[in-house]
Amino acid sequence: MRPAAPLWVLLPALVLLPVLALLPGISHGGGWELVGQFAAAALQPSLDPLVLGSVLGGLGITAGIALLGWAGSLALGLLLGIASSRVVWRTCTGSATPAGWIRRLLAVPRSIHELLWGLLLLQLVGLQPAVAVVAIAIPFGALVARVVSDLLDTLPTATLEALRSGGAPAPAALLTALGPPLLPQVISYSGYRLECALRSATLLGVFGLGGLGTELRLTLQSLAFRELWSGLWLLLAVMLLLEALLGWLRRRWAMPARLSLRQRAVGRQARELVAAGLGLLPLLALVAWRLEVEPTALLQWQGLPPLGPADWGAVASLPWPGLIANTVLLTVLAATLAVGLAPLLLLVVEPWPAAGVLLRGLWALGRLWPPPLTALLLLFVLQPGVLTGALALGFHNLGILGRLLLEAAETTGAPQQQALLAAGSGPRLALLYGRFSGLARPYLAYGAYRADVILRESVVVGLVGATGLGSQLLEALSSFAGDQLLALVLAYALLTLLGEDLSDRARLWLLETPHQETPHGDGHPQEAGGAWR
Amino acid sequence: MTVRERWTAALAGLAFALLPAVLTPLAPSLLPAAEAQQSPAKASTTQPVLRIGAIPDQNPEKLNRLYGLVANELSKQLGVRVSYVPVTDYTAAVGAFRTGNLDLVWFGGLTGVQASLQKPGAQMIAQRDIDAQFYSVFIANTRSGIKPIQNQKGLTALKGKRFTFGSESSTSGRLMPQYFLSQAGVKLGDFAGGAPGFSGSHDATIALVQSGAYDAGAVNEQVWKSSLRSGKANRSKVVQIWRTPSYPDYLWLGQPNLDQRFGKGFTAKLRAAIVGWRPSDPEQKQILELFGAQQFTTVKAGEYKKIEQVGRQIGKIR
Repeated sequence: MRPAAPLWVLLPALVLLPVLALLPGISHGGGWELVGQFAAAALQPSLDPLVLGSVLGGLGITAGIALLGWAGSLALGLLLGIASSRVVWRTCTGSATPAGWIRRLLAVPRSIHELLWGLLLLQLVGLQPAVAVVAIAIPFGALVARVVSDLLDTLPTATLEALRSGGAPAPAALLTALGPPLLPQVISYSGYRLECALRSATLLGVFGLGGLGTELRLTLQSLAFRELWSGLWLLLAVMLLLEALLGWLRRRWAMPARLSLRQRAVGRQARELVAAGLGLLPLLALVAWRLEVEPTALLQWQGLPPLGPADWGAVASLPWPGLIANTVLLTVLAATLAVGLAPLLLLVVEPWPAAGVLLRGLWALGRLWPPPLTALLLLFVLQPGVLTGALALGFHNLGILGRLLLEAAETTGAPQQQALLAAGSGPRLALLYGRFSGLARPYLAYGAYRADVILRESVVVGLVGATGLGSQLLEALSSFAGDQLLALVLAYALLTLLGEDLSDRARLWLLETPHQETPHGDGHPQEAGGAWR
Repeated sequence: MTVRERWTAALAGLAFALLPAVLTPLAPSLLPAAEAQQSPAKASTTQPVLRIGAIPDQNPEKLNRLYGLVANELSKQLGVRVSYVPVTDYTAAVGAFRTGNLDLVWFGGLTGVQASLQKPGAQMIAQRDIDAQFYSVFIANTRSGIKPIQNQKGLTALKGKRFTFGSESSTSGRLMPQYFLSQAGVKLGDFAGGAPGFSGSHDATIALVQSGAYDAGAVNEQVWKSSLRSGKANRSKVVQIWRTPSYPDYLWLGQPNLDQRFGKGFTAKLRAAIVGWRPSDPEQKQILELFGAQQFTTVKAGEYKKIEQVGRQIGKIR
């Protein structure tokens, strides 16, 4: 038995009850004064030219790292994605087995968070701008590869078979039959990846890998809130501009033009794409030169620090069940908070448009704010622990989920909502039954995927999570305990792979329903096999 | 899509794309921030640069000011180009020393031992007069109800309180305080919330305890005293409750290959320069004041055995 669709979106919000019940127990309120100062500083950010200069410089580095890491991950991901596609192997060699093996291999780099890649690379090759770029490119590349191969393998193969039986050689047939339908989805997805890369580059900075994140953490730690807000406002502006630009490009290039009233010249889109691609190359070279990224320097490995004899007994005596249980609890709490709160908050503010605008602003802050900074702020008024970590991660992911929900809601269910309103139902009920009920399944399916991202992200709130794998890992890093580090990274990888499998099953179960009607216009990315990863 | 929308998006794209290209030269934090050189006119790229660094134990503004001065002074005395590379993390400072990205680093006791174990042959150049016998102090918020402690056993009063260390790898802000706490029978899990906080730096610890976000914390005595003098720490809100026994702390650590790179006898010259700083010289006086010391002295490597022992006991050295 399944509950009715409108209830589905509200189900995860039930987690609020235990959270609200536990919150008074962990709040100590010692630092409300600081929180007040922090909020007041939002209205009067520092305009000191020195501060602005260093913030702008940091922002430049962060944007540069994001751009280079993103480009690297796309190149890597497209190549590996084609190499791990069953259709490609079957068409070229007749057997799809190698695709399966490559896929399994790619699961390993994907399961390790970019922060861990960054910190490990930092130990291997030293302090270099290229470290952050590579740290983003590796896991993102593996992620893009999975999405590309999934997309390739779910495309209809009728055209391909027709071309093959007509005698076309395998590469040409693959390109002709699968290229055009794949393109819009890849464009839409890679735009989304650039947004992710900007967020990741900021986060890496928080852990000392350069750029604006570094400034944000240092200003927060020295409680220089006005300087902090100069950085935050600037980052917010850049992030919103980037989102607007990508949204526009997505609509222009990735949406089918057949519903458009204006006719577009044949081939114009292809010319634009090629021009954009060609324009990007010199830009990337320029950015790499400005950031002094030297690919050759990455090859100068310094070797690992001379490790003491590995003490596996000590590794085995770590409190593993507790560590894993806390990490899973943190993930589930953060995921259900984010998934449940987004529709609930939208319903609550529906009658007041002004509150809606405020809510969107808050979500934008949540998206841009690296979770470890939120966690540090929360520590002013809450005790460290799983719940504090979950709140920080939940706030960040609420910003991301909320925006996706809003975007999806814009393209779906307007007539139903209007009809319900006209028939006299209240604004909230009309929104819930008119728009959200149609979106329930794809939204929750995306939420299941997001849970698996949150599991990987849980390492970044290690310092306040206090008892999970993440905190143990950061401690092992600062003790240069290679054996513990290895065991913890492996545990993380295994847990993430397990989580990925579970979330895949949940997604399939949610999407495979007898009356699976696609709720929004075709071509929109959510339904493309869950392309929003 | 309207024309206006299109223009907005195009401008946004341009702005984002040009951002890294336009802004990077201003303050790239991975690159040398304060570069001082003997004579800019004849600076050649072949001339080696002495890259100095420091663990980020205090506010970055102060570090930038202090190490900018140090870079200038060393450059003037030694006749080589000296640049200060800011590092944002204790562990990263150790890593950067091991990988050879930094030539001379102001380390804490623990990070210094970690770095010299990881880089055999690393040379302990100098320490401050106060470092052979260094102290941490435990501080508490006046509203927390924690009273000054008479002896080490009294640390049990901190059980169940919100407590913060400085950085995870700090000697005076974490390692030794944790050692003295465990001697008194206080485990990390005994604090409120089941774990202590890690504020990141001594300044942050003082600010957080003063604000009430934490009931108590442990800081480096020298930073604590200078905060009291400058008025940043307000005695009506935060007070010292106990001073630890002494232990050796900070030191300048140099790469093993300095003589090969900068010429025979360079390490000895470097040591002589640092140890020779005196308050009679106005610039050197400023440096010594920011370091909170009268002068620098040479180091006896054996002193840091105790830190290594404690580090191994706590698990920070393996």
